[in-house]
Amino acid sequence: MSRLYGEPIEVWVRDGRPAQFVWRDRLYTVREVQDHWVVVREWWKTSDADPGERRFWRVEAAAGRQVGTYELRFDTAADGWLLLRAWD
Amino acid sequence: MASFVHLHTASAFSLRYGTAFPGALAGRAAEHGMDMLALTDRDGLYGAIKHIRACHERGIAPVVGVDLALDGGPASRGRRADPARIVVLARSGGWAALCRLVTAAHHAGERGEPHVTPGMVSEHATGPDGEPALTVMLGPRSGVGRAVAERRDDQARALLAAWRSVVPDLLVEVVDLYGYRDANIAVRMLGLAASMGVPAVLTNAVRYLDAADHQVGNVLDAARKLVPLDGRHLEHPTAHAYLKDGAEMARVASRICGGDAERAALLLAETRRAAERCALDPVEIVPLLDPEDPRLHLPEIGEDPVPLLRHRCEDGLARRGLERSEEARSRLAAELTIIERKRLSGYFVTVAGITDMIRSMGVRCAIRGSGAGSLVNYLTGIGEVNPLEHGLLMERFLSEGRRGLPDIDVDVESARRLDCYRAILDRYGEARVACVSMMETYRARSAIRDVGAAMGLPPHEIDVIAKAFPHVRARQIGAALTDLPELRASGLNDRSLETVFRLAERLDGLPRHVALHPCGVLVGNSSLRDRTPVERSLLDFPMSQFDKDDVEEAGLLKLDVLGVRMQSALAYSLREIERVDGLRIDLEAVPHDDPATYDLIRVARTLGCFQIESPGQRELVAKLEPRTMHDLIVDISLFRPGPVNSDMVTPYLEARHGFREARYPHEALRDALRETNGVVVFHEQVLRVIDVMTGSGLSEAERARRGLGSPEGREAVRAWFVPLARARGFPEPTVEQAWHVLDAFGGFGFCKAHAAAFALPTYQSAWLKRHHAAAFFAGVLTHEPGMYPNRVILDEARQCGVEVLSLDVNHSGEHWLVERTGPVPEPSPDGPRVAELGRGYGLRVPFSAVKGVSDAEVARMVEGRPYTSLADFWERARPSRPVAERIVEVGGFDALHGLRPGEPRWRPGELTRRDLIAQIGTLDRGAAGAAGQLPMAFTERVTPGELPEMTEAEAVEAELAVLGMDVSRHVISFHDELLDAIGVTRAKDLLSRRNGAEILVAGVKVATQTPAVRSGQRVIFTTLDDSTGPVDLTFFESVQGHTAATVFGSWLLVARGVVRRTGGRAVSLRALHCWDLVALDRLWRDRGLDAVRAVLDERPAPGAGVGGRPLEYGNGYRLSPYSDNGAPPAAREGRFLAGSGEPHRRLWHASAGSSGPPPGR
Repeated sequence: MSRLYGEPIEVWVRDGRPAQFVWRDRLYTVREVQDHWVVVREWWKTSDADPGERRFWRVEAAAGRQVGTYELRFDTAADGWLLLRAWD
Repeated sequence: MASFVHLHTASAFSLRYGTAFPGALAGRAAEHGMDMLALTDRDGLYGAIKHIRACHERGIAPVVGVDLALDGGPASRGRRADPARIVVLARSGGWAALCRLVTAAHHAGERGEPHVTPGMVSEHATGPDGEPALTVMLGPRSGVGRAVAERRDDQARALLAAWRSVVPDLLVEVVDLYGYRDANIAVRMLGLAASMGVPAVLTNAVRYLDAADHQVGNVLDAARKLVPLDGRHLEHPTAHAYLKDGAEMARVASRICGGDAERAALLLAETRRAAERCALDPVEIVPLLDPEDPRLHLPEIGEDPVPLLRHRCEDGLARRGLERSEEARSRLAAELTIIERKRLSGYFVTVAGITDMIRSMGVRCAIRGSGAGSLVNYLTGIGEVNPLEHGLLMERFLSEGRRGLPDIDVDVESARRLDCYRAILDRYGEARVACVSMMETYRARSAIRDVGAAMGLPPHEIDVIAKAFPHVRARQIGAALTDLPELRASGLNDRSLETVFRLAERLDGLPRHVALHPCGVLVGNSSLRDRTPVERSLLDFPMSQFDKDDVEEAGLLKLDVLGVRMQSALAYSLREIERVDGLRIDLEAVPHDDPATYDLIRVARTLGCFQIESPGQRELVAKLEPRTMHDLIVDISLFRPGPVNSDMVTPYLEARHGFREARYPHEALRDALRETNGVVVFHEQVLRVIDVMTGSGLSEAERARRGLGSPEGREAVRAWFVPLARARGFPEPTVEQAWHVLDAFGGFGFCKAHAAAFALPTYQSAWLKRHHAAAFFAGVLTHEPGMYPNRVILDEARQCGVEVLSLDVNHSGEHWLVERTGPVPEPSPDGPRVAELGRGYGLRVPFSAVKGVSDAEVARMVEGRPYTSLADFWERARPSRPVAERIVEVGGFDALHGLRPGEPRWRPGELTRRDLIAQIGTLDRGAAGAAGQLPMAFTERVTPGELPEMTEAEAVEAELAVLGMDVSRHVISFHDELLDAIGVTRAKDLLSRRNGAEILVAGVKVATQTPAVRSGQRVIFTTLDDSTGPVDLTFFESVQGHTAATVFGSWLLVARGVVRRTGGRAVSLRALHCWDLVALDRLWRDRGLDAVRAVLDERPAPGAGVGGRPLEYGNGYRLSPYSDNGAPPAAREGRFLAGSGEPHRRLWHASAGSSGPPPGR
């Protein structure tokens, strides 16, 4: 079962993919990217010229010995990361 | 490592799908260091030639394919659902097979919905020698891909196996656009391919140049599917379908292969191998890339064309009486040398055969364009213009150094154009002949319509917004909103529409749909369909997917057979003269020096005549006073944006009328420039000047002339011209002066051959107007060749003394008929006055002028004449109820039943039009209730006088609504009282007003134009008609702030202006203000004359005018971005009769630069 969060997190990116992130004061190291996809925002519903896209990453990451699967989302317009869900 | 190759790329020629043009895609591929690029447009090869040329230019090897819909069997047919699609690439040497497959796909599907079956693909996939000719790629959109996505692995396997058994060169295409599950599907397709032993390739299913284009793509998806924008309608929910570079594609490969570098390399290598198998030889497909010896695909003649053409020319010399002319013989020898060296004899023989055939069908046929400059064309009977007589040069048409093929254009009667096409098809067979296509592209109005619909705006709002714009390019939308006063005031410029306009601008120039080119006909040989794909046009003609440029590049010969309405009008007039007066006139034999005809032209009574009827032309002919054919040729050449703006007109006129000496830069140039008093008007003169100054010969001169069109070209020509002229011993100032002339006018001159070809029908139409006015107007009204709507022509006819006879069920015909109405007056010694020209004749309004009437109804109405009563008409002509009512409303039964509109309205015991309309209701109900059961006597009985008669005003209103013209009275006459009260000057009195006087005028708007003018302003020219003649008004930018919306939006106008004398008999007005007459009339009735006077006395301050930077040319020629580009409308090809010829309900002429009615009015 996954749990939904939607909390802002800080992410370090290496080679175009997330490598480490800090969530709730713990540092997670990405061990594997399981899936990655992009969704373009429905720009015609907003007044912004380019509301940007959302890049989703489903990763396996570890904080210490605790390993889990996490879904991270990067919003190009807001230039910020969220932790969307976690399976841990 | 070898570069990545994109094997699946859609350009803008994938209609309403792709967003980038082939040139841009090839350019980007080259920047990415790629050495090959495929173009695989949806449903056709529309962009293939452009792609091959673009690749060739950049040193890239071209690959061409097509993205085709798959017929999923009966179950999926007709479903709006997305069909499965496959990509088919031509292997090297497989171009013919690809063309034939595309042709077959278009023949299999409904028009516009081509599709293939695996069987069809397999039929074409192997060449005659057993070698594979096509490569088939099955990607995520194919049946296989869809089965994989739905996790039906067995089905995917079975489908792939089926394809493998019929197609020798099969590939699985994997794509990852970073959408949800994309990677997942790609991984499994890769696995499937490996397990079945089918090679897999990587593509990016490209449809964008840059990621940022995806919004345009989204809009196109919505426009194509006719749905509002919504996530579920999008073809690609991500922005990744752009032309990625090699590194990005390597990342995609690695991602699909789960980071396995070896497998990724294998995938990329397989992609590369497939591309190498499919690299095409550009020169084989586009022979004109080889400038030295292009391999043309000429029609087969059946014998050696060289002696054949020589014989025909020899016969022609005899027939034209030129046997003894040394000049003709040496010119002929020179022309034949070039024709034979270029191996074009067969082309001329073919074209001569076609024009002979057209004339033998009794269709009028005239040559146009530079072809008139060739003696061969004259001798073989292709054209009727003798180039020697007018000093025309062949080099302008066909020369040694000229790349490309000569273009012979012929004009035929517009109403018979398609008959001509059919005859050509019958003679040469469908396998050898095809029409040329053209792409209709997005412009401001169409772009706003499609984007508005995608964004879900209500249809009527979209309509209002779109029509508010003039016919400008889509990318000018934003600029137009701020530049044009009528749009600034419209309230469109608010934030809510910002996105619509921004996106509409992005659609600028994208192809929207493919259409039949108005005149191009391809005549090839039996291999035509190996060289071009052919689809069906709307009217079921075979139509090449190439446009006119592509056709030429592909080495195919085309002939332009243009439908010209004036030719139809002339033919119709001649038939009417023969029918009514029993005179057979050979228009070609009419002498070209009839003083009476030139007198008519010189007083500018040219409404309805070919080429010289626009307000500007009427002004010019009045000043130029043509007296010979040559004067007409000069007149037509001068009336174009270039000469008008470069001010060639004034020096020519001054020298012509002897106000100043003709000046020549050098004595040696006198010969070349004498015919136009030292002013360079014609291309032919440019050639002669260059030839005299450089001694390089006319062919070389023609090459130089072509360079004068662009600033860089002019520099290059100058660098070549000046030293050569100096070397010939011309003094420095002469060289400078000659160069100045070439620099300023060279690019704008006009091809004299073209003008000479045009001057013939111009003269012929004026001759007919002068000598057979009624028949002339009948022809013009029936075929509507000119810029003016019929109500204007009808008014001109009335002013020329022709009686206008209202619709009469017993006398009207299918088209406008001439009737004798009385004795023709004896001509007075000094010729008849204009008002006497058509005396003794009338014009009968035809059935076809009635709004909404069908061809079949018209045929029955004509067939059933005479009628004894309305009921008889109803019974036998079987019109629809609204049509019958309209015929009564405009007086079709007045004569039969003795009706007349007007006072008194109540006429007990006397029948009225309204009584008859009521009777139609009874007849209709009778027919609906129990067909044939009501006895005739019952329906025949009408109670007379039960309903009131129509007033005269109502009658005219009905005429305007039903016929689009005021027949019984001029509409302005209803406002006479008000116009007299406010002191309006009538057109006939304008000449008596002094120059500079400020006066009021009024009238019906006849035309608005925004032509290119010298100052670079947008100037609105408006013509009003007040029943006594035309009033020409000029609105400069300074007054457009308070007038533009009214000028474009209203039909009946009152204007204040300053009198400006422009010639002996010509007056025009500089407008200061204008008002809607209907609004003034209402004000007058509600509040009295003083209120009207108060409004008329308003003096608004000159407001901000029209914005927008004028386009500047090197020689100081400036052009408003909102002026009509190209020739003035009357000088353009005119409108083409497409299909059945829906009667036009236009009430005034509006040029392309005119805005429509503003929203909210």
